[in-house]
Amino acid sequence: MLFNSINFALFLPIVYILYWYATKGNLRLQNILLLVSSYFFYACWDWRFLFLLIFSTSLDYFTGIKIHGAANKRKKLFWLWLSIGINLGFLGVFKYYNFFAESFSEGLSLLGLKANLGSLQVILPVGISFYTFHGLSYVFDLYNNRIKPERNFIDYSVFVSFFPLLVAGPIERATHLLPQILKKREFNYIKAVDGLRQILWGLFKKIVIADNCAEFANTIFNNSSDYSGSTLVLGALFFAFQIYCDFSGYSDIALGTARLFGIDLLRNFAFPYFSRDIAEFWRRWHISLSSWFRDYLYIPLGGSKGGMWMKVRNTFIIFLVSGFWHGANWTFIIWGALNAIYFLPLLLTSKNRNNLETVAQGKYFPTFKELFMMLLTFSLTVFAWIFFRAESVGHALSYISEIFSPSLFSLPKFGGMKRAMTLTILIAVFLLVEWLGRENQYALAKLGLSWKRPMRYAMYYSILIAIFYFSGQDQQFIYFQF
Amino acid sequence: MRKFNFRLLVFSLPVIGLLWPLDYFLSYNLKKSNEYPGELEVMNDIYNGNLNCDIAVYGSSRAWTQFNPIIMENSLRMNVYNFGIDGHNFWIQYLRHLEYIKHNKKPKLIILVVDIFSLQKRMDLNEPIQFMPYMLWNKNIREYTSSYKYLNKLEYYIPLIRYAGKRNTLNTAIKNISRSSKDSKKYRNKGYKGMVREWTDDFDKAKAEMKQYNIVLDTASITLFDRFINECRALNIKLMFVYTPEYIDGQKFVSNRKDVFDIYKWYAKKYNLVFLDYSSDELSFKKELFYNASHLNSKGADLFTYKLTSDLKNIDAIGTATMRASILN
Repeated sequence: MLFNSINFALFLPIVYILYWYATKGNLRLQNILLLVSSYFFYACWDWRFLFLLIFSTSLDYFTGIKIHGAANKRKKLFWLWLSIGINLGFLGVFKYYNFFAESFSEGLSLLGLKANLGSLQVILPVGISFYTFHGLSYVFDLYNNRIKPERNFIDYSVFVSFFPLLVAGPIERATHLLPQILKKREFNYIKAVDGLRQILWGLFKKIVIADNCAEFANTIFNNSSDYSGSTLVLGALFFAFQIYCDFSGYSDIALGTARLFGIDLLRNFAFPYFSRDIAEFWRRWHISLSSWFRDYLYIPLGGSKGGMWMKVRNTFIIFLVSGFWHGANWTFIIWGALNAIYFLPLLLTSKNRNNLETVAQGKYFPTFKELFMMLLTFSLTVFAWIFFRAESVGHALSYISEIFSPSLFSLPKFGGMKRAMTLTILIAVFLLVEWLGRENQYALAKLGLSWKRPMRYAMYYSILIAIFYFSGQDQQFIYFQF
Repeated sequence: MRKFNFRLLVFSLPVIGLLWPLDYFLSYNLKKSNEYPGELEVMNDIYNGNLNCDIAVYGSSRAWTQFNPIIMENSLRMNVYNFGIDGHNFWIQYLRHLEYIKHNKKPKLIILVVDIFSLQKRMDLNEPIQFMPYMLWNKNIREYTSSYKYLNKLEYYIPLIRYAGKRNTLNTAIKNISRSSKDSKKYRNKGYKGMVREWTDDFDKAKAEMKQYNIVLDTASITLFDRFINECRALNIKLMFVYTPEYIDGQKFVSNRKDVFDIYKWYAKKYNLVFLDYSSDELSFKKELFYNASHLNSKGADLFTYKLTSDLKNIDAIGTATMRASILN
């Protein structure tokens, strides 16, 4: 069930009404309802993978208790590695087996040897990377004595499977989400209104911007050899907006939905395209994953304590792993490596924590320098997205080489130019709203709150009409495949 | 919470309240469309319920561009309507038949134009705009179009949402607001539109690029085909098959062409139906009568219609005499 589907538009009010009315505020009943709804939500994709989800949940629940109760460190480690091994084993089989098998065979063939490990015809279970990392963060935190194990299986299962975050995050932490699941939740008017506004903005981003950009990005990327360099640049730009609006739109809907149930999820995006350097970009893009890697990989590897060499090594490791997390393809690894290379000068000059505040805070316009830095960072990011979007490394390289050809200076030409112009205007409006709201949790968070109700409602209706009229062809959320 | 729910209701009421009127408004204006390929005109005629035809021609574009009802009417002194539907196989042709029978007087004779693709089933719903104004709470349309990857099940029940994001459809409906449905010139005449076109080089290009291909027969469509024949018998409607002229060079592409033909022959024999096959007729050798390998131009269509009409008279297809199986090869 997609957030942007009519099915979800019916599912959500039903769960909402049952949650606040049928359970009469009983926490146990509320959590049971959330779990049943979440499993139903997940089963709408493929009910068979529900068993995998339940198994993964049970594994971390059980090993969590064992880690906490272990008599010594050796036993703790055993249970920790058991959980890591099985979790990553599943991830490996479902997501990476074919990649490793093919890469191994290709590697051997380069040496003149022949090996065919075969390939598995497996479907990637939706959200497996997300709920696996979710569960892993729980056992890591238990191992590090940051939390106590949750002994109520239902409550723990809600933590793993809460439907707004189940298939594409944000990747929650037990320290943040579990206490909210265990605590009696009161309805909060302001929170609920805010949730609805965030859902509305998320839908606009996904349906109006991302899905329409997808149409052009897909056409241009899928037939890149037919287009001029200037058109390919446009294709990359459309993809940059597609992926941002797709994923941040999803996150907005997830956060808004959770807020309707009185639960706050981790923020996942903070206007990353207004970043002045790549370090700032990574503090603002997919925040829950970046911070996951920081806390459970970068810091355990020594973080930035062991001198410059260790900093550089660890930075490369997390970027490469982050790339690999996205998918079993060399394109993602190169995308990760490119970002690490972008990051390197900042790291070497210790400027990676220069831009911690929002750009042009309290002002309408950025300075010329800020604008230049933002454009430069955005350009670097768009360049890296080419690898992320391309089907293969060869495809990405041919795409880039065509960009840097004389045809870069020709006028872009592709089918649907008129629609592309309309889309460009929509993107401009979107960027304007994002810019005006960049100091808030999401762009629409405070827009119009001080207006009179008819004006405010007019704004909401206008967004709804835009969603109705401009909705693109139904597209899956990009991050579902990860 | 009461305040929140109340305000949410106040906000939602205009949206919910406008669903039906807006749906009606868009559907009403959409029905005025007279654009290529004119499918909505045929749907309008069907749902208006005023069709009083003796002969109904069913089929794909090989029906709507090749059977001129006016020639048939003048010669046979009977009412004829061409229900040919662009780009659809028998599956959707049957839906059109169902709706026609449901809303109108049944015909005396149905001429079913069978072709090599009739018993295939395409994946996409071609020209979906024709179903849009009529599909809300329409059981038949839901049953026969829901297997195509185009519409969500709920779109058959909840007003307006099927128009979401269908920008071309919405623009057409909006453009039609000022247009009167009575005044607008129709694209088709009794479901027919002759194509005043010359032979294109599409076929030569295809010939150069394509190898032979196999028609994948759809089991459900074959079952439906059988059901249709039996339903016609039960309703006492005479049925005959026609295979229209097809440019001779274009007949080599399909590797299992004979198998497909055998199915039609088998059904014709089993149910004692007339099957007129013009694929080897002299018309099929005249390139100047076609605009592509499987479609006659208007000149070819007229010649073919005259020929067919004459044959219908000869075999007494609509007369009272008992029909014999007449399989002409």
